[in-house]
Amino acid sequence: MQGNLSSWLVKHGLVHRSLGFDYQGIETLQIKPEEWHSIAVILYVYGYNYLRSQCAYDVAPGGLLASVYHLTRIEYGIDQPEEVCIKVFAARINPRIPSVFWVWKSADFPERESYDMLGIYYDNHPRLKRILMPESWVGWPLRKDYIAPNFYEIQDAH
Amino acid sequence: MAAAAAASSYIMFSMVGWKNGIQNTKHTLRFPISAQINEAAEQLKAGDQEEDQEQAKPKPSPLRPVEVQQNVKSKNMGREYGGQWLSSVTRHVRIYAAYIDPITCEFDQTQMDKLTLLLDPSNEFLWNPETCNKVYAYFQELVDHYEGAPLTEYTLRLIGSDIEHYIRKMLYDGEIKYNMNARVLNFSMGKPRIMFNANDLPQDDLQSK
Repeated sequence: MQGNLSSWLVKHGLVHRSLGFDYQGIETLQIKPEEWHSIAVILYVYGYNYLRSQCAYDVAPGGLLASVYHLTRIEYGIDQPEEVCIKVFAARINPRIPSVFWVWKSADFPERESYDMLGIYYDNHPRLKRILMPESWVGWPLRKDYIAPNFYEIQDAH
Repeated sequence: MAAAAAASSYIMFSMVGWKNGIQNTKHTLRFPISAQINEAAEQLKAGDQEEDQEQAKPKPSPLRPVEVQQNVKSKNMGREYGGQWLSSVTRHVRIYAAYIDPITCEFDQTQMDKLTLLLDPSNEFLWNPETCNKVYAYFQELVDHYEGAPLTEYTLRLIGSDIEHYIRKMLYDGEIKYNMNARVLNFSMGKPRIMFNANDLPQDDLQSK
């Protein structure tokens, strides 16, 4: 069970691991963080010129953090564009993933949000700082081991 | 942040407590609703328990005197600090990293080595000097506890939230009461409760229904 892109990458000797297909039949690949930047450039040159979405999630309590990229190849006269989903996993302690901002500019705000919510450091991101939470916030709210501070909220007012 | 950098040289917090609600109550009728039991017998019991508790628990630390400043002028934060003061604002607790004159209300934001607590500006509770001082003492304890922490909004909000929880506890213990002449009467810390027990109802009523 190997997709087109996976076999293309194998042909060019690029290390990756196939994670199968998602429910829409879109190929999913896992790529190591240290190779992600060069493979991102190769994918851009290959034709994936559109980063449709970038998101991140916490895989398991105490486990890895994942950064997910959905890439699309936009061309004229095509109604079924080629798509691929890339997952990059990073260790929970000091998670570092190269930023793809310099490849796809639309990665700017999604990567900042992933940094804000999960604390993944995107190397070479131009302005990696919190985007949703206040800048002085402590902790990464979407990690599974996050404990929310006991802030006072009005709960009983009616 | 520049403000966080400034906090490292920051050892002594001083504290200015200011309460504006007390003067207003002269004009208003006092009609308190207790969050606790209203029956006289129950109150007697509760009073006994409170005395026991007071003997057992350690006394709050005495309030440090606050140096009263003369001729305070409203000053904005310098541009090197981003032009913004640090604050934690919730309904009953407003903490500013600034000096606020209690009489003239001049707001000196350049004095970042001070924290000012405005207690219940919307006047939702009925305060007396004793309960006010308890909150101030608790504030002082918290400030001592957070000594050395960076001076950020997050830290101030932790302190402010703890004070809010403390006020809520005071309300539940019946030490403070809702001010029924407050401008907004939405009982933001829970509806006033009268101890109601269905077992005390006459049994005939229950059976007939």
